[in-house]
Formats: sequence, structure tokens, C-alpha cells
Amino acid sequence: MRKAAVYLIGSALALSALSATAQEGHPLTGTWSGDWGPGAAQRNHITMVMAWDGKTVSGTINPGPDAIPVNAIALDVTKWTVRFEADAKGASGPARITAEGRLDDIASAHRTISGTWQQGTTKGDFKLTRD
Amino acid sequence: MRCALALLIVLASAVVSAQRSAIYDGERQVRLEGAVTRVEWVNPSAFVFIDVRDPGGVVANWAIEVGNPIELERHKWTRRSLRIGDIVTVDGVPARGPSHQVLARSIVHKSSGKRLFETPAARTAGAVRSAPPPRWPDGQVRLGPAPGQKGYWSPIGPKALVESTAANVRMNDDGLLMNLADADRVAPMLPWAKAVYLLRQRTLLKDDPMTRCMPPGGPRQFQMPNGVQFIEQRDLGRILVLMGGGNRNWRVIYTDGRPQGQAAEVVLTYYGNSVGRWDKDTLVVDSIGYNERFWFANGGLPHTEALHLVERFSRPDLNTLRYEVTVEDPRTYTRPWTGGWTLQWVAGEDIEEYFCEEGRTP
Repeated sequence: MRKAAVYLIGSALALSALSATAQEGHPLTGTWSGDWGPGAAQRNHITMVMAWDGKTVSGTINPGPDAIPVNAIALDVTKWTVRFEADAKGASGPARITAEGRLDDIASAHRTISGTWQQGTTKGDFKLTRD
Repeated sequence: MRCALALLIVLASAVVSAQRSAIYDGERQVRLEGAVTRVEWVNPSAFVFIDVRDPGGVVANWAIEVGNPIELERHKWTRRSLRIGDIVTVDGVPARGPSHQVLARSIVHKSSGKRLFETPAARTAGAVRSAPPPRWPDGQVRLGPAPGQKGYWSPIGPKALVESTAANVRMNDDGLLMNLADADRVAPMLPWAKAVYLLRQRTLLKDDPMTRCMPPGGPRQFQMPNGVQFIEQRDLGRILVLMGGGNRNWRVIYTDGRPQGQAAEVVLTYYGNSVGRWDKDTLVVDSIGYNERFWFANGGLPHTEALHLVERFSRPDLNTLRYEVTVEDPRTYTRPWTGGWTLQWVAGEDIEEYFCEEGRTP
């Protein structure tokens, strides 16, 4: 029991140490999490993984059985804005996702992207924080 | 004697530590006078504290950064060079923001008129009489001292990595450009990398991971003010590079003939996976497997996990180590590029203890 507690505390400390370490490479690379929705009362969790291969940024929304591949991700480094498009499978058929946001706090391990999100005909806002 | 005359005399604090650009405002100067209240003689930078009374009679305690204590002691300055209560006049560069901190340019003892904590900081080229490099019995050049001696390598000249074909890119020891328009000449960066580099430059390198005690991987380990030491363990087929700066850590270069691994297979680390081989008198080291949690050179040049370095170390004489590095990272740079600098042998000494302490304030 005590061993397990020590292990848990150790793991928590290790995780907190990891999360405090910045990523200094391409600013979009990594795992991001947050949510989007049309208003404060209706939010939808998002996990988004992005990777830079030297030519393009690829991405996946909600990796796993319901993963949505991101078709295009564009970073405008003159304004630090990000735009991405994906095709989600909605209950009533395909729903196009178009999102545009601003990258903030770039030097931080937990930089953010926030802006507008449209999925099908539903418009809302989103915020992602790099894990 | 002739050697001594060739030395340039400046206050040690002007040259010993990196990342000062983010702390001090080089555009301003202050003069302070007050009584010494405390002397903190710690590596990598010593501080003297003085009480300064402003025209309104309010007393504030100022921290005066005076330089690297190892360098200072090498030139006979000690923690007892000033006594509590001594009155000094300080000319220096103030910290940015409201803190009462100054990087000293000169400190004068008021009653004696003596200038304190001055050290020879830079040797002029050719001033040091040199000798052939030490060699192993089989004739291979040693990167460390000859048997029975000691010493380490200290960087001289520019302490920033710039493509060797670029002429007259002016920057300070922290790698901060004097003119941001020179960014394109520093290295052939992709647009995102240039934008990140300029962001770091504009924010005066304040987010440098080294300020949070992250290790100086890549070429940066050879830019550290406290120098580096090579421990050649030939029987074990490896060379240890001990860092005087950073966080008292080391890098391993394997020289046992093992092949370089595949980038996708190695565990990503701050110092990468290094394999070396001797090409006549030059040690050629191939490194991959870097993580993205550090800056690989002073000044904030970015990189990704695709970073591949080929370093060449040659010792043409006892006192000179030529360092050249070819940087290849197709996710960050448009093409491979090469830069380098020279390190100088500090004979008869070992690198000193230094532990980086995050958030340390004087």
C-alpha cells in the first residue's frame, strides 16, 4: 500500500516535471487539448495531435477509433495564426470542420491556440492548449 | 611578461556569463555609491551588496554582479577583497525593470581609490606561446592534458553559432544580434524557424531553456563560459565531455567503432547519440537523436528532432582546439550549413563546480 502511494507520488512528480518542460521546436508540433462549442454551456472536448515533417504540418483530431484526420493545417508565421480543415463524421452525415485561431504564448510549453470553429453549420469558438 | 602585456584588461563580469542580455539593459548606465553589506562569492557569478541612499534619504540594498569567482580568484581577487562596511563607487549597467541590480563595469574603493575585481579577460591571438599537442603513445592527438598535467578548454572570441560564410554578423556573447536584419545571414532558416528565432531575439532571449537549467546540448556545450573538459577513456571506447557550464553534466562520444543508430530508434536526449572516429588528427563526431527541449546554440537558433550534427575537433597545437560543426535539419533549415569557433587551453586547472539553480536570485 505504502509502495503504491510512493509510486503514485513519484509518478505525479515525474509527470509534473515533464509538463514543465517546454518544446522548443516547431511551434505546432505536439499534443493539444481543449474544447470547442457554440457557447459556454455546450462544449466538446478536442484532443489534437500535430507534427511537422519539414514541408507540411499533419494532424489528427481525437486520435483513436473516432479519429478525424486533418486535411490541411496552415501556419502564418507573420501573424502567428493557424487555420485547419477536416471532415468529421456527424450523426447526420459528414460535417466539414474549419477552424482559424491565433497562436499565443509561443515560448511556453503550454502555448495556446484560440479562435473560431465551424463544424457543419454550427459556429463556435475553440481553445487548445499544448499538453 | 610579454604574454601578460598582451592581455586585455576588463572587468570579468563583462564576459563570463551568458544570458545577460535578458537581465541587463545595455542602453543604460548607473553610478552608485554605498557601503558593502554582503559579499556572495558563488559560481558562476559573484555579487556584492551595497546600501545606497537616494537623494530623498531612502536606503535601498543593491546587488552588484562582479564576475565569475573562479576567474576573479585566478587573478588574486577573493571574497575578502572587500569588507563589510567598505564604501565603494560602482559604475555599471542596471537590470531591466524595477529590481535593484547592476552588472558592474567598474568598482572603486572610495578611501583607497583602488579599482576592484579587474581581470584579464581575453588573450590576443598569438599572445600565448604554444607547443605541439600532446599525443598518446600511438601518436594520436590527445584532447585532454598530457599525463600528469591538467587543463580544460575555454571558448574565446564570438560565442554564437553563425554560418561560416557570413561575414560581419555582429552579436553579443549571448548571441543577441546587433541588427535583426542580419538574421538571414546567421543560418539558412525555413520561414517558421526564422520567425521563432526573431521572436526569441526580440524578447532578448528571456525564454532561453538554460535559464531554467536545461542542459546546453549540441554546439552550445562548447560556448559555455566555464569551459569543457575531455576525458578520453580509450579502454572503454568513449570520450566524456564534461561541461563547466549548464548543470554539471556530461556527454558521451562513443569511439568503439559502433555504427550510428537510426534516428527513429534512438532515445531522444539533450546531448544526442554521438559516435566518433579519428580522421588523422581530427575527431569527427556524428550525432543524432536530439530532443526539442533546448537551444543548441546561444542566440536561440531553433531545431527539431531531425537535427543531425557532424562535429570536427582538431588540435593543431597545445593551446588551440578548432571546433567546426555542420548542422543538418531539413525541418528547420533549407540546407546543411557549417559554423565553428576556437577554444583555448587553460593549463593547470580543472573546470570548477557549478550547479545551475533555477530561479536563483542574488
